[in-house]
Amino acid sequence: MGGKSEPAKSESMATTTTSPDLINSSFFSFKSLKLKTKQQELLLRIAILGLVYILAFIARLFSVLRYESMIHEFDPYFNYRTTLFLTEKGFYEFWNWFDSESWYPLGRIIGGTLYPGLMVTAALIYWALRFLRFFVHIREVCVLTAPFFASNTTLVAYFFGKEIWDTGAGLVAAVLIAICPGYISRSVAGSYDNEAVAIFALLLTFYLFVKAVNTGSLAWALGSAFGYFYMVSAWGGYVFIINLVPLYVLVLLITGRYSMRLYIAYNCMYILGMLLAMQIRFVGFQHVQSGEHMGAMGVFLLMQVFYFLDWVKYQLNDTKLFQTFLRITVTSAILVGGIALGVGTASGYISPWTGRFYSLLDPTYAKDHIPIIASVSEHQPTAWSSFMFDYHILLFLFPAGLYFCFKRLSDATIFIVMYGLTSLYFAGVMVRLILVATPAVCLISAIAVSATVKNLTSLLRTKQKVSQTGSTKGAGSSKASSKVTLDQSQPFQKNGAIALLVGVFYLLSRYAIHCTWVTSEAYSSPSIVLAARGAHGNRILFDDYREAYYWLRQNTPTDAKIMSWWDYGYQITAMGNRTVIVDNNTWNNTHIATVGRAMSSNEDEAYEIMRSLDVNYVLVVFGGVTGYSSDDINKFLWMVRIGGGVFPVIKEPDYLVNGEFRVDKGASPKMLNCLMYKLCYYRFGELTTEYGKPPGYDRARGGEIGNKDIKLEHLEEAYTTSNWIVRIYRVKPPTNRL
Amino acid sequence: MVVQTNLSHRIIVLFFLLPLLSALADSASDSDLINELVSLRSSSPDSGVIHLYDDDVSKFLTSVPTPRPYSLIIFFDSVDLHSNSQLRLQKLRREFGLVSSTFISNNNGSNNGTKLFFCEIESTHSEASFHLFDVETLPHISFVSPTTENLTESDQMDGGDFAGLAESMTEFVERLTKLTVGPIQRPPLLTKTQIGIIVALIIISAPVLVKKILKGETLLHDRRIWLTGAVLVYFFSVSGTMFNIIREMPLYVKDYEDESKFVFFMEGSEMQLGVEGYTVGFLYTVVGLLLAFVTHMLVRVKNLNEQRMTMLLSLVISFWAVRQVVYLDNWKTEYEIYPYWPSSWRR
Repeated sequence: MGGKSEPAKSESMATTTTSPDLINSSFFSFKSLKLKTKQQELLLRIAILGLVYILAFIARLFSVLRYESMIHEFDPYFNYRTTLFLTEKGFYEFWNWFDSESWYPLGRIIGGTLYPGLMVTAALIYWALRFLRFFVHIREVCVLTAPFFASNTTLVAYFFGKEIWDTGAGLVAAVLIAICPGYISRSVAGSYDNEAVAIFALLLTFYLFVKAVNTGSLAWALGSAFGYFYMVSAWGGYVFIINLVPLYVLVLLITGRYSMRLYIAYNCMYILGMLLAMQIRFVGFQHVQSGEHMGAMGVFLLMQVFYFLDWVKYQLNDTKLFQTFLRITVTSAILVGGIALGVGTASGYISPWTGRFYSLLDPTYAKDHIPIIASVSEHQPTAWSSFMFDYHILLFLFPAGLYFCFKRLSDATIFIVMYGLTSLYFAGVMVRLILVATPAVCLISAIAVSATVKNLTSLLRTKQKVSQTGSTKGAGSSKASSKVTLDQSQPFQKNGAIALLVGVFYLLSRYAIHCTWVTSEAYSSPSIVLAARGAHGNRILFDDYREAYYWLRQNTPTDAKIMSWWDYGYQITAMGNRTVIVDNNTWNNTHIATVGRAMSSNEDEAYEIMRSLDVNYVLVVFGGVTGYSSDDINKFLWMVRIGGGVFPVIKEPDYLVNGEFRVDKGASPKMLNCLMYKLCYYRFGELTTEYGKPPGYDRARGGEIGNKDIKLEHLEEAYTTSNWIVRIYRVKPPTNRL
Repeated sequence: MVVQTNLSHRIIVLFFLLPLLSALADSASDSDLINELVSLRSSSPDSGVIHLYDDDVSKFLTSVPTPRPYSLIIFFDSVDLHSNSQLRLQKLRREFGLVSSTFISNNNGSNNGTKLFFCEIESTHSEASFHLFDVETLPHISFVSPTTENLTESDQMDGGDFAGLAESMTEFVERLTKLTVGPIQRPPLLTKTQIGIIVALIIISAPVLVKKILKGETLLHDRRIWLTGAVLVYFFSVSGTMFNIIREMPLYVKDYEDESKFVFFMEGSEMQLGVEGYTVGFLYTVVGLLLAFVTHMLVRVKNLNEQRMTMLLSLVISFWAVRQVVYLDNWKTEYEIYPYWPSSWRR
């Protein structure tokens, strides 16, 4: 074999590079190439990975095909606007940018209040492309950043799977994550959000850390520290890493798996990662000051205690003496740590946990105390159907994968089990965190698929070659599978194996079908252009949002201040280029509550508030004509709740009738006279929306409105888009004093 | 003439005497009423909330002339509506009880303790009282001040006062009565004896535990325990337990049209009931564990027939479970998932 390896290698090189004579040769087959099995396998693996890489990219292009190359939703518009600023003005201007166009009259220090990772990444790609003389628009770069990073994630998933199980599991994991709806939902083309690069960074950090724990090499640990730095620069979800990794280390310590490798990996990753993370201004000194990061520091100190004890044990040969020493050290270490934490918290040096973090640990907390978190639809708890929708068969495979992991327990499988379970719990608390759990679910399910298929196929093979029953060539690397093949000497016939295999492949094909459908129908909508099916099954597009924003841009004074609910703030500044009162950053609850109060007060009171905020235009989103259900009337109760949280004059029950939210004749008088109601339904009573229904029939709520004769005193209608989705009103200047 | 004047004198005397007498009688009956209320309060099983029936309402409210020497705060309850989780009747009732017990313990022995009584009226026994107070919707809490004559005009606690539960109810009471209820004393999660027992147990077991941990033979080192825990975490996550806890969803609801029927599954992907989540979570777990069982355990069974049968059975069960879940999901989300075949394949 050794002698043959040289020519075989050169030929395999020839196949991977271009070689016209090989393609022309009539006896083209693997045999003629004389590839060794290992090389064949490598070739196959690279080919599969390449295909998966492309698949992950193109599956996310449905949104471009169905609509157009545009930025989606809300937050991405802010990211786009800042990226544009970064590429035009340069990094230092971007870093020191004070934005006076949002949060009027407060303004916002952009450089210090955002995670710059995404923008810098996109800008670097843009500059690299320009350097290579590809003159693309920055928007295209932004649109395609998410699919590009999703493709990269598949590669990381492959290496991760290889690290915790074997190459087969790695490949399956890559395929699963490439099309998993849980990940696609946040990474379709145009969804230019922090999560797009953050999941890549998250998985990379974990992979490098596990690699560092497995090898005990400083280089991998350094890599994981830089991965962590990238993650911190990209997304606030880094808090998950800085808590999961110490938890993992703690579990290893408890279960008696402390090793020098772990010591090196964690110390290097923690110290370097912390120092690097402090360079991000938005994060600053939180690693040493905030309660959310204290666990990591505690575990770091605990590691030192362990190391010290190990050293003392080595020095002392007397076990009894060591036991006493151990007791004293552990007690004093815990005492000192506890006192330090207590003093730090009491003196205010260590800040307590933030609401978002707290609501993860105690799920009912947000509902009772922080309406601004509870109001966001992606912060809702997850019903089982959402899990099914986003994971499909992975959910069936997950327990099997868990079982396999426990069968072959190692430092790496412990990590993936912990990652899977913690993130699944968090996914149950908030819908958006399904995204974080997706890589873990894919990896664990991949282990299940790969191990099962491997067991079954090796079974089939051994049956075929009756003479070599003992040989477990194909599954030599995996302990578990070799055990299985050895165990089953006689029974468990071929038929059974084939039936199981068919079952597994049937499931996988259903998964592929599900993912494709979900990607194309559910997750590719940009939500800025709305699509509906017409009476004849044809697609109708509502482009009202952009129509309204461009109207603002063309027809209002450049210094006009627009008041709207915070959802539309980013879009108005990015597309309309006008100043807004509040936007999606939600950093100042009082300011948002003021807007909520204005919207839920009657016109006179609202006018006072709007005057005090220098508002020139008010923008509301209304779905009564089109039946668009996520409009301002349906969000109205949240405005009341958030407003009432700061201004007790606003009371939710005043807007309800018997605990029910109504807009028809039975609605509460406060509801019928509040600003939001008037602005949404102004002149709506004259309009017939549906055949056979009276005028003023609201299609989103399915009822005739209660107040058809709305008179505006301090505002006047300025513009209403073609489908009435966006309505803009001008605030009149005060009348002359008499 | 004489007779005349005599008569008029008598009338005048009577005129002066009557109020005096009635006042005397009143004060006697007042203290009787208060005593009766106090005894009712002390005999009431929970937190001193007096259960009023229609007779009691007339006795303590309608037939007593104003100003009454006490005020009543009345919680209107309905057992039939307890199953409606949106109304939160039972929770509000518990909070109401808390306010009551706090008031009693803070004003015990003082004069103020007999000026306010916490009562409840239940709809099935006392429909007439509901009409009397003109109660149409629940939750409804009314405050009857000493001067209230027409019960329909009693002060009603509005939704904003329920929102903050016991604390805001207290504010409402204090605002109207000018009496102090005091800070709400919620019962601790564990009583003192329970805490004592737990602490004692920990102290006793501590040396054993420490020894075991050092030796490495605790449950923490048993991977089966970890596996069970892991599967449980998985099960509770995917079955949407968090959703049930946060939204306080009941396990099942009664059918609106037919009271004897139960609804276990709810349409619409935004909602779920307790039972449906657990059912689906169970189906997931069964299939996954069967897969692990077939590949790792079944191969060790020696008997060929047994093996085949088990295998067949687990295949059938898995197939059925997957179909069920997919069917339920399609029904719930109203999505119809279909593959995109090339258009040339379509006829």
